[in-house]
Amino acid sequence: MPELKYIAAAIAILAVMPSAIFEGVIAAHTVDGISRNPEAYSKLRTTMILGCALTETTAIYSLLVAILILFVG
Amino acid sequence: MFENFFKAEISGEVMSSVIVMMIIAVLAIIIGIQAHFQDPLKKPKGLLLIAEIGVKFFDGFVEGLAGTRIPGFGGVVMCLAVYLFIAFIFGLTGLPSPVTYMAVPLSLGLIALICIHATSVKFTKWKYFKRYVDPFPVFLPINLLSMWAPALSLTLRLFGNAVAGMTLMSLLYAVLKGIGPAFTIEALNKTATVHLGYFITPLVTPVLHAYFDLFSGLIQTTVFISLVTILVGQEIPEEE
Repeated sequence: MPELKYIAAAIAILAVMPSAIFEGVIAAHTVDGISRNPEAYSKLRTTMILGCALTETTAIYSLLVAILILFVG
Repeated sequence: MFENFFKAEISGEVMSSVIVMMIIAVLAIIIGIQAHFQDPLKKPKGLLLIAEIGVKFFDGFVEGLAGTRIPGFGGVVMCLAVYLFIAFIFGLTGLPSPVTYMAVPLSLGLIALICIHATSVKFTKWKYFKRYVDPFPVFLPINLLSMWAPALSLTLRLFGNAVAGMTLMSLLYAVLKGIGPAFTIEALNKTATVHLGYFITPLVTPVLHAYFDLFSGLIQTTVFISLVTILVGQEIPEEE
């Protein structure tokens, strides 16, 4: 059944869920930090972007697996 | 010489990569000539000013993340950053973006890996080989495998982001094209079926191109050079 691969890709992409949730957590904590110490805004922003990108990595891996299942496998 | 170059079966992404390198080479030559004839006592202007600001920025960037013990690494980082950013926004020209071809991010990841190991050899000399039998000789196979982890993670991050943007944009184009009622146009003895979406598409897609190509490219470039600098900085031992 070749149609099953669409379900497999859908299951593989489920891994983006925790990544999205915890990117929100990162942003929330950064806002907390900025409201306590507004002078640290530029430093916190750089760190937040780096942290978000690192968190995104797992999501990107699952996206790659889904794309591989759909178009290659 | 060039006939065979264009006949050979080279994928479009590699061709775009060569074009990007040519753009950077021409810019570098122009800036080099300007810097050669520049009077050091006068203020620089134009391209030379931008280049000087860039060099200063990247030197400060490396100094902030990896310390002052690797002079000249700012140049490597600047080269990687300029290539990566131009490669990301090269998709806007309509030609294929080099980053969506696995070989290009893989080469960048291998450059990062070589930088990491060269720094380690430079600072620890023969003790470099100790890292493979750390903490016991039994760990040799595991250490040999984990040696490739930074290159692989850098590669997949770049490739995944670029491919995600490209896939979303091509899906969006495919969807928008078919929207709305269809009507036929007759001109020059030919008929063509045109959907309303043909006229909506150019109004919607530029915003998303700005996000997926410009913004995503900028963020990924920042993240890539930050990670390379941090990974290289880890290999520098504490000063005695």
